[in-house]
Amino acid sequence: MIKMDELECLAPQMAAGASPEVFHQLGLITRQLHDTLTQLGVMPKLQQAADGLPDARSRLNYIAQKTGAAADKVLNLVDRAKSEHQSISSETRRIAAAIVADPVKAVASGAVMNFVGDVESSTERIDRHLTEIMMAQDFHDLTGQVVAKVVSLASELEDSLVKLLVQAAPPEAATKVEAAVLQGPVVSYEGRTDVVQNQGEVDDLLASLGF
Amino acid sequence: MTTNSDLKFLIVDDFSTMRRIVRGLLKEIGYNNAEEAEDGSVALNMLKSSKFDFVVSDINMPVMNGFELLSAIKKDDTLKHLPVLMVTAEARKEDIVRAAQDGAAGYIVKPFTKATLEEKVQKIMQKLAATA
Repeated sequence: MIKMDELECLAPQMAAGASPEVFHQLGLITRQLHDTLTQLGVMPKLQQAADGLPDARSRLNYIAQKTGAAADKVLNLVDRAKSEHQSISSETRRIAAAIVADPVKAVASGAVMNFVGDVESSTERIDRHLTEIMMAQDFHDLTGQVVAKVVSLASELEDSLVKLLVQAAPPEAATKVEAAVLQGPVVSYEGRTDVVQNQGEVDDLLASLGF
Repeated sequence: MTTNSDLKFLIVDDFSTMRRIVRGLLKEIGYNNAEEAEDGSVALNMLKSSKFDFVVSDINMPVMNGFELLSAIKKDDTLKHLPVLMVTAEARKEDIVRAAQDGAAGYIVKPFTKATLEEKVQKIMQKLAATA
């Protein structure tokens, strides 16, 4: 990054073909802006917040990795548990049919006891899957703490940028806030009439439009 | 419940977890034939190179978002017949209205339930059957 003191040294090199007076004026304006922002206390805070951005990036990456891994783990475990359930279900139907057809043979052949043993083993495995699913939710606690730190950093950055905007922007532009094209999930519905809160409201809205 | 497991779905979402969830739910409600795309651009290429019967798309995606995909599908004579169900976290009324006006067959806001997805898919299927 170019420091303020280096600007004056650079100016003559960059001035080829341009008026020295223009660069002199630019230098003065830049210096005034720098001094003003420093006096307002914006620059140090902005610098501090900017320094924290790489840290925030890595924290957000951590959240993405942690939540992605948890989601994958849970989905894999659910797949396994569902497979176990399907197996129990089909075995139950099979043994029921065998008992109806010939109860004595079903018991004597050991089919019933084998089934009981299989069900016990299967339910133990399902229980382990459920426990692992429960444990996989630990990402919530870990990422929650990281989110709190990133939110704090974002608030500091926002505060500094708002001060900078208020100082630098023309009055009419300072009050104009462009809405993002896509907003993503609604974090808070409080005081908002521009969003729907549930699928029922989506359906009502579409019905009112004739869809 | 009447379902046609031969129907081929394309699930478009930049989050693999959500693609997997939608795919799993479709399987549970009787639709086993589904492929996935991570954004609108990939989806459009897949739609042009292979036959699909139904598109389930997110809106907020990189490269080409769901609105752009919907618009591209409806402008293409070979694809415009495809029903596009939007499944998205975008809950602004103007987005819902825009999707409807651009030709979406349905709109589901996340988080959603299996029952909601099943109801919307069935409703769209019934409409298609009625107009066929």
